[in-house]
Amino acid sequence: MVGEVQGCKLQCAAGFTCLRLSALLCFSDAVGKDQAGKVGAVQPGEEKLAWRPHSNLPVSEGGLQRSWRETLCQKNGKQELFSTSSVLSKDKDKSAASKDSTHEGVAKKQEDGAETPKQKLLDIIGNMKVEVTYRKKLQQLKASESKKQAMKQLEGLDSEGSVPQGIAEDTQRGKPLNPELVKAASAVASSLPHNKKQTVSELLAQLRRHEETTDKQKEGGTINIRNVISEMTVKKQSPAQRGARISGRISLQLDEDGQRIRRERSSAQPGDSRRSLKVGKRLNIFTKASTEPEHALKTVSSPTIWDLEFAKEVAAVTAQPPRNGFEEMIQWTKEGILWEYPIDNEVGMEDDAEFHEHIFLEKHLEGFPKEGPIRHFMELVICGLSKNPYLSVKQKVEHIEWFQNYFEEKKELLQEI
Amino acid sequence: MAAAALCRALRAVQQVLPSACPRQVRSYYVDWRMLRDVKRRKVAYEHADERLRINAIRKNSILPKELQEVADKEIAALPRDSCPVRIRNRCVLTSRPRGVKRRWRISRIVFRHFADHAQMSGVQRAMW
Repeated sequence: MVGEVQGCKLQCAAGFTCLRLSALLCFSDAVGKDQAGKVGAVQPGEEKLAWRPHSNLPVSEGGLQRSWRETLCQKNGKQELFSTSSVLSKDKDKSAASKDSTHEGVAKKQEDGAETPKQKLLDIIGNMKVEVTYRKKLQQLKASESKKQAMKQLEGLDSEGSVPQGIAEDTQRGKPLNPELVKAASAVASSLPHNKKQTVSELLAQLRRHEETTDKQKEGGTINIRNVISEMTVKKQSPAQRGARISGRISLQLDEDGQRIRRERSSAQPGDSRRSLKVGKRLNIFTKASTEPEHALKTVSSPTIWDLEFAKEVAAVTAQPPRNGFEEMIQWTKEGILWEYPIDNEVGMEDDAEFHEHIFLEKHLEGFPKEGPIRHFMELVICGLSKNPYLSVKQKVEHIEWFQNYFEEKKELLQEI
Repeated sequence: MAAAALCRALRAVQQVLPSACPRQVRSYYVDWRMLRDVKRRKVAYEHADERLRINAIRKNSILPKELQEVADKEIAALPRDSCPVRIRNRCVLTSRPRGVKRRWRISRIVFRHFADHAQMSGVQRAMW
């Protein structure tokens, strides 16, 4: 029973390429339970439509797939159970081939020929889930699954020589992988006609990457741009500090100390201020304070003339003559003599209209006759206005209205013509 | 002209603070010709849109000729100073009608004077 269940799991797992292993296992469990009691039936018609799970692998993935295909062709005579969910899947070569190999190893752990609707549903859901995942994950998980299957199948067939090879390679790379996976990798490599060592190393590398990514996600280490930037700023300060220290050493002792202290403080303060500015909750002091005086001003009806005069007196008294050119320029900017830099070409303009109001001006042509030279003329005018970026919508509308008034005045003349 | 208009707009928007240090303000134009030129510019600015529209009717092959003749008469009825052709780009400081560089709006003599005293930003004696 256990063996049968395991076999079913293998078959089902072989079927899926995506790999939410837990989901697969539950599906496989369900399938196993359903099929445990049933008799295995031959379904030659469904061999070709093998249980082919979704794989988003590109067709050109290559040598591995072709080899799997060859093995598949050779094993067409096998009798196996597959569900109808195969219709949904795309590339099936690798998985099919792996399945075939698993079936070989599993001897006659045949599953039931009958396809319950429950199985179909589960299969469909499982395949749908497949579509969502990424390609790399697919590949990696696929590889890991195939390895697992291979390992389980060929437990008896594994040569002892291949296993220590894989283990040795694995340990050389530091992070310890699952020994089962290693064995599976070695088994897969041995089954393939190509270079064994290369394939084993590639598979192990993929597994490692997959594990790293999963670990990162488990820890929740998402990319935090702020941390990155803060780290960058800290690094930038150190060469400046080093430069300061070096220059400090060259000068007098007092200066050294003073400079060091100052620079340390100055270097520390911006760092602290940066951290304190970015980190921490907002106190919302200034926003509240800004809103309150606004309300106070609104309650006052209007400042009297005496208030204005008083304000002017105060401003005249407090306004000191500019100490330098910068303050002079500031004063000129306030008075309007000097423009504000960087020069904004749209200072006086406030065109809030959308582009369609500028371009589609035909609605303003309702006052004009629908046919005739005037209409033709006005359509040309509108065409020109729509291409004009310098006028505001109001100006364009005024333009058209002027023409309307002009032609209305000349109506008598036009009727004579 | 545009700069003056913009300055006026800015002043209207912002509050004019009484300047602590009163500066020299030019209250007269350099000569009468400059004053007339200033008047022409103002009138031309006022009638610019009308002239544009009436000219659009006149310089047209679609509208009937009678209409265009009427438009001719209308545009001739506008004040004479409203046409932009009468504006002369005089030197701003000396009112010299000729030898005026458009970018700085000053005549060549004044330009040379300021450039030699290093009061023209980015202007250098050419040597190559």
